[in-house]
Amino acid sequence: MAEAAETDQGPLTTIVNDWSSDVTTFKAVPWGKAMMWIFLLSDTFIFTSFLVSYMAVRMTQTDAWPEPSEVFSLEAFGVPVPLLLIAIMTFILITSSGTMAMAVNMGYRKRKVAVFWLMFATALLGASFVGMQAFEWTKLIGDEGVRAWQNPMGAAQFGSFFFMITGFHGLHVSAGVVYLLIVAFRVLRGKYDNTSFEIVEITGLYWHFVDLVWVFIFAFFYLW
Amino acid sequence: MAEVGQQHPIKVYFLVWALLFVFSIASYLVDFFAFEGHLRWFLIVVFMLLKAGFIVAVFMHMKWERPTLITAILVPPLVLIVLMYLLAYEADYAWASRIVYFGDVVEPIPEPPPSHAAVPH
Amino acid sequence: MATAEIPYQETVPLHHPKTWIGKYVFSQDHKVIAVQYGITAMAVGLVALFLSDLMRIQIAFPEFMDWFVEDYYYQSITMHGMIMVIYLLTAFLLGAFGNFTVPLMCGARDMVFPFVNMLSYWVYLLSVIILLLAYIPGLGGPTGAGWTLYPPQTITEGTPGADWGITTMLASLAVFIVAFTMGGLNYITTILQARTRGMSLMRLPLTVWGIFVATFLGLLAFPALFVSAIMMILDLKIGTSFFMPAIVSLGQTLAYDGGQPLLFQHLFWFFGHPEVYIVALPAFGVVSDLISVHARKNIFGYRLMVWALVFIGILSFIVWAHHMFVAGMHPYFGFFFATTTLIIAVPTAIKVYNWILTLWKANIKLTVPMLYALSFVLTFIMGGITGLFLGNVIIDIPLSDTYFVVAHFHMVMGVSPILAIFGGIYHWYPKLTGRMLNDTLGKWHFWITFLGTYIIYFPMHYLGFIGVPRRYYENFDSSFYPASAQLLNEVITYTALVVGVAQLLYVINLVHSYFYGKPAGDNPWGANSLEWCTPETPPGHGNWGDRLPTVHRWAYDYNVPGSEKDFIPQTVPQGQTS
Repeated sequence: MAEAAETDQGPLTTIVNDWSSDVTTFKAVPWGKAMMWIFLLSDTFIFTSFLVSYMAVRMTQTDAWPEPSEVFSLEAFGVPVPLLLIAIMTFILITSSGTMAMAVNMGYRKRKVAVFWLMFATALLGASFVGMQAFEWTKLIGDEGVRAWQNPMGAAQFGSFFFMITGFHGLHVSAGVVYLLIVAFRVLRGKYDNTSFEIVEITGLYWHFVDLVWVFIFAFFYLW
Repeated sequence: MAEVGQQHPIKVYFLVWALLFVFSIASYLVDFFAFEGHLRWFLIVVFMLLKAGFIVAVFMHMKWERPTLITAILVPPLVLIVLMYLLAYEADYAWASRIVYFGDVVEPIPEPPPSHAAVPH
Repeated sequence: MATAEIPYQETVPLHHPKTWIGKYVFSQDHKVIAVQYGITAMAVGLVALFLSDLMRIQIAFPEFMDWFVEDYYYQSITMHGMIMVIYLLTAFLLGAFGNFTVPLMCGARDMVFPFVNMLSYWVYLLSVIILLLAYIPGLGGPTGAGWTLYPPQTITEGTPGADWGITTMLASLAVFIVAFTMGGLNYITTILQARTRGMSLMRLPLTVWGIFVATFLGLLAFPALFVSAIMMILDLKIGTSFFMPAIVSLGQTLAYDGGQPLLFQHLFWFFGHPEVYIVALPAFGVVSDLISVHARKNIFGYRLMVWALVFIGILSFIVWAHHMFVAGMHPYFGFFFATTTLIIAVPTAIKVYNWILTLWKANIKLTVPMLYALSFVLTFIMGGITGLFLGNVIIDIPLSDTYFVVAHFHMVMGVSPILAIFGGIYHWYPKLTGRMLNDTLGKWHFWITFLGTYIIYFPMHYLGFIGVPRRYYENFDSSFYPASAQLLNEVITYTALVVGVAQLLYVINLVHSYFYGKPAGDNPWGANSLEWCTPETPPGHGNWGDRLPTVHRWAYDYNVPGSEKDFIPQTVPQGQTS
């Protein structure tokens, strides 16, 4: 890479040079990766629109808004621990991000069996995340009586936004699990042996983005 | 395009992995110890941004990308801050209007008497 | 600009279809996809045109069509607006022009992901079908909420299509957004990552720049519409209250409570205002190229034109609430949004001045594409100036919801982009088919359309000033409705019918010239940009034969002193003239 020669010219010069060069603007970025980044940018706008809507409706709300740390508490050893399930889900998603990052790293070393197992582990963790989300939904619907259109603890929009936003995020996770498994098996079958393993990195970008969204949902939905 | 890969010492990933756990626990503790008001918001947002920053920078390799890609991806979302700020600003106004015109709790409007519906316009 | 970088496309094999279906139906060739997009968009656009003529007859002659009841009128308004803005203009400018010009003008063999590009078209077709499903008898017809779909009235009882019409509309929009995203990612990635040797961004024709910025706006703005469509479907189908406040409708207290109707308007216009520029920017680009080619002169202030496009794009995200001055939003917002709106007039005015300065002392050839380009400039100035009126809160409030608004947005984002589209079609048809369009038919079509739209929309400003409200099914015998307004309405309606029928000339021209048109040759207009440098006309699969072209100059070297021809194509090395 020509990075060494360019380190002394400063980021602004690099930006100007890249944008005014021919053939590619993002140097050494494969098409798929550029496309995935731009897609994630678009997806950022979707999730932000969801969260901003949530903010606007919650701030204009005159009914009581339920206390999330009480609603989402879980009995552990006979003691209610606030947000226990959410904490576990967060740790699972972070761990899956870690295994994914390792898979990308192994991909560039062309150790495809390691890549397969790490991606498989990521997919498993993702699937367990979705499972726990299903458990959380069941608990909220069955025990607390929250519905998308009503909520015995106050403002109906609590349930509406909760199911919509976590549901949309859960869909992203589920799609990610499928995507991960497809790529993992293709890697194992040797589809990418003669080309590069950039597809692993592209899959990784998507997966980390899902984790990133969870960071914001966690902060704004469970801690507000 | 063989040399495009992102290869970095595995140590970095483990470090960030650990840091993410630490920040998650920290933001969890903010709730556990029930901090209130500005302090709570400040801590939650700081930990959130730290986590997001580390994920983007290290796991998504943004730290090692050229500044061209970094700015192209990270600058456009700034317009969302305008949307967020203005909607938050307006939400206070809408909330205040609801309090002024509907009292502090909006009761469901009672069923109008049958005669009401029959009044000709 | 010495470079060692080899375009990736020269190293990867292209997908070669073997069957007829693979070549022309489920084709991955960007040119075929462009034609598919174009034909679908024009077909659905003719439906919308037909609806507008029905509405015009109803306004001018209320007794003429007894069967055309209020519901039909509102449904026609909604479908006309939505089809024209989304399914015709957005789809045509980005789907058809974007697909056709981007790879050719960048010097690429195809889009970067042809398969995704193909899916984009088929998903778009699906969205059109879902949209038209509402016309199936028994479903209650399409929604009559107006194209802005404001809650609560959109989903409350009494609005036409409040059950199925609105559902198909929202579902169709969501599907369209998926289609647009697949196409848009392709355009952006192709422009950024798959140009040919020597093609820097600042050597791209302005058409590509317009499409680039518009696509970027689309990728960032459509999410807001997507989100509001999802939330509205949930409000409608499972009874959430995102947008629905406590409300008494037709004497019944509805189950909704505590929603925020203004939120929908904010989200809608956070999408809707960039959408205006999604439609306008490609038109700006196309017109810049047409003017330069047919005036045989380089575009004035190329760099300024590019930066103006970029600044309009950025600013378009912070002006959205000027559509909501009378919506009851926070009173302080009027100042902020009026200011940003007026600032956006600066880059827009720069573009208009640059077009005019390009024409200054130029060797203007009044070909059909040029006529369309010139009429675009005129119409856009007209619509832009009324935009300054409406951008000021204090003038906007009395003019809100009158025909002044109708005149403004039809001139600025209805007629103008359509004129640019016609200009582009007359310009690129020879490259697409190898035959010229008929000149006489083209001129008839142009003069009827151009003068007709002026007769239609110019008097509407006056109607607005005297207070005639828009979206009214019938104006009855109101005291504020003078006889002159009725006369004008009749004139407008006659003209609208003539203009509507005149579009048949254009359809006939397209079909007839495909078989019997004059052979065009490789470069009938003497243009410089890369699409005119292909080895075959129409360009073959892969566009460039064995080797991608190399670009040595910008696309605007016309009438350069010392060259024997009056144009120097982009592939000619510096220092040579042909």
